[in-house]
Amino acid sequence: MTAVLEAPPVTVAPEKRRRRRDWRAIGAFAVLTGPVVIGLGLFKYVAIAWSFLLSFNDARGTITLGHWIGFDNYAFLLGDDAFLTSLATIALFTVVIVPITFVASLGLAVLINSIKRGKAFFRTIFLIPAAVSYVVAALVWKMALFNGLPSGVANVLGGLFGADPVPWLSETSPPVYWVAVVTLRLWLQVGLYMILFLAGLQAISPSLYEAGELDGTTKWQAFRYITLPQLRNTSVAVLLLILIAAFQAFDEFYNLFGTGLSGTATAPVKPPLVYLYDSALGDQNYGVGSAGSFLLTVLIVVITLLQGRFVGFGKKD
Amino acid sequence: MSPMNRRSFLVGSVLFAGGAALAGCTSDPLNKNAGAASGAKVTLQQWYHAYGESGTQQAVQRYAQEFTKAHPDIAINVSWIAGDYETKLNSAMLTAQAPDLFELGDFRYQNVKNGLLAPLDDVIAPAKADFSPAALDTVTVDGKIYGVKMIDDVMMLYYRKSALQAAGVQPPQTFAELLEATRKLNTGKQKGLYVGTDGVGEAATLLLWSSGADFFDSSGKKVAFASPEAVAAIAGLKQLHDTGGLLQGYPTDWSDPGAFANGATAMQWGGLWSLPDIKKALGDDFGVVAWPKFGDAGKQVARVGGWYQLANAKSAHPDAVKQFIDWLWIKNADLQKDWCVKYGFHIPARKPVAAQTTEFSSGPAKDAVTISQQNGKSYSGLWNKASATLFLQAATKIANGQADPAAELGDAAKKAQAEVDKQLA
Repeated sequence: MTAVLEAPPVTVAPEKRRRRRDWRAIGAFAVLTGPVVIGLGLFKYVAIAWSFLLSFNDARGTITLGHWIGFDNYAFLLGDDAFLTSLATIALFTVVIVPITFVASLGLAVLINSIKRGKAFFRTIFLIPAAVSYVVAALVWKMALFNGLPSGVANVLGGLFGADPVPWLSETSPPVYWVAVVTLRLWLQVGLYMILFLAGLQAISPSLYEAGELDGTTKWQAFRYITLPQLRNTSVAVLLLILIAAFQAFDEFYNLFGTGLSGTATAPVKPPLVYLYDSALGDQNYGVGSAGSFLLTVLIVVITLLQGRFVGFGKKD
Repeated sequence: MSPMNRRSFLVGSVLFAGGAALAGCTSDPLNKNAGAASGAKVTLQQWYHAYGESGTQQAVQRYAQEFTKAHPDIAINVSWIAGDYETKLNSAMLTAQAPDLFELGDFRYQNVKNGLLAPLDDVIAPAKADFSPAALDTVTVDGKIYGVKMIDDVMMLYYRKSALQAAGVQPPQTFAELLEATRKLNTGKQKGLYVGTDGVGEAATLLLWSSGADFFDSSGKKVAFASPEAVAAIAGLKQLHDTGGLLQGYPTDWSDPGAFANGATAMQWGGLWSLPDIKKALGDDFGVVAWPKFGDAGKQVARVGGWYQLANAKSAHPDAVKQFIDWLWIKNADLQKDWCVKYGFHIPARKPVAAQTTEFSSGPAKDAVTISQQNGKSYSGLWNKASATLFLQAATKIANGQADPAAELGDAAKKAQAEVDKQLA
């Protein structure tokens, strides 16, 4: 702004004036954005580019380049059933967790929005878990709720219905460890998405419901033909957030199934990020670890684009 | 309270933040300046994994301080690393924050190959005869010695005498007896056997070794854990699970005596280090045996691990590192004894020190030493984390009945061979 105010009279040649003003603006721009750009560049983009180069190298126990092997790391991953299984695992996990989280948080939001008293109280109660870290929650789940002892909370509850104690986190037939994984994520996430839905619900004009009532709609019809369509933008955003969060699942799998001594080698399931963590940091194979993270990135981009196509993210109404 | 105007609020905030920053500077939570404060010229960074026994962390800090007292020029800053120690160490070794010296449980040949370790021949040479040949061979690569064994740890099967008596079983000598004991000792509230929270732990390795097979063939370079006898032995994991007497999902893992000491299981695979805690909890109501033999060609085994003191090849103060290792792990018999018997139990790696300790002269502790001498077996230095992960993944699937043992282990062995070939290339 000062640049404009201090600009010399119009009599000065136009080119000169423009250049002087540009330099000052460029200077300010550089000072203001410089630190962020340098920080981002150094700690994100240089690292990403380096990792991309590493993915074409045989980098074992080192992060220096120099042993070019072309697409061998990519070929190794695409031929490794452990990696392909981890992709299948995360796909299954996403298919299960996304609709459940979506329905649960929408349901909670509608319920809380409809009660007359104690709205703030319940809103807070359900939001609190969102502030708990995955690591802490995973340890509570592992050690207190879903341990294999007859005195574990889940086993005590099961015992009331006559079920035998189960080692929840290592039993694979049936794979009951999913109960622990899914409930943990729901407990942590539902509150946050519920808040987003609540905001959406409160933005719906009451006059729509009043008009509906005059026409004699049932509660279900009001939900189906007024609430849901009005929540479309919120729903699409929430869906996208849940989806990306599901694909990036790492913390609960690592902490629920890791033993500390052998890492996650004996885990019944491994999502791709845990697999890549083990390859890069456990086995010290940074080439394979980098290649895998680029494969995963491509996958997330493709799925997000596809999802955008189907639900029309960013499309105008 | 009088209303606060904007200026006084601002001044207050600045004072508060400034005070907090100053307090942060002086309290030095990471103790990075320990050396500078005591006037030392050099501060060495040393890493330990988090030992479970109480008093251990204070002990290593005390050793460091005693060294500085004797050598005022060198200070030691000890880091106590909880969780997956080796993974954290491996990634730190590639950075400028790498420790100057550190301990490592299973020696890895790949660390030498990757140029991470400094040879310690001149430190160990005068005391070479004090160490067992195995402790030297494991860390010898191309004629150079890369580590000083600090302690020997033997791992074995703890059993509760009273529980075995009540169930009418003997301490198991064969795998068939182990299966029977696990089944019979299961009372619902107290399970028969605990090998780890994941139901696998070291049991797959022990089954392999107890059948007479091994990870490598006699050449030491060809992966052999998919041989017919090895497959048969590891398939025994499924039988153990099928007894219904195997404890799983206990909050602490096998390396902690919790499950056994609290009576959640009648037998547990555990380490000698837990013996003092177990004695405190159970008195004389326990004994130890080696892992039972599998099949006719097999033999009883126990794993002998322990910890090596290693030196970073890229340390800026190689002489100070060697001086400290020599002082603590070669010369200082008193502190070595302190470390081996005052907290958990470990067998001193140096024979003269082991001969001085009286703690291993009777009872289960004596049995443990005998077991380690007669049945002890260690990992090869070529066995690395990547191969171990492949092996354990296959074993877990077999234990859960999700895979055909021969096919699964064959596949894992092929991949593990590729990992080994890469190391040797």
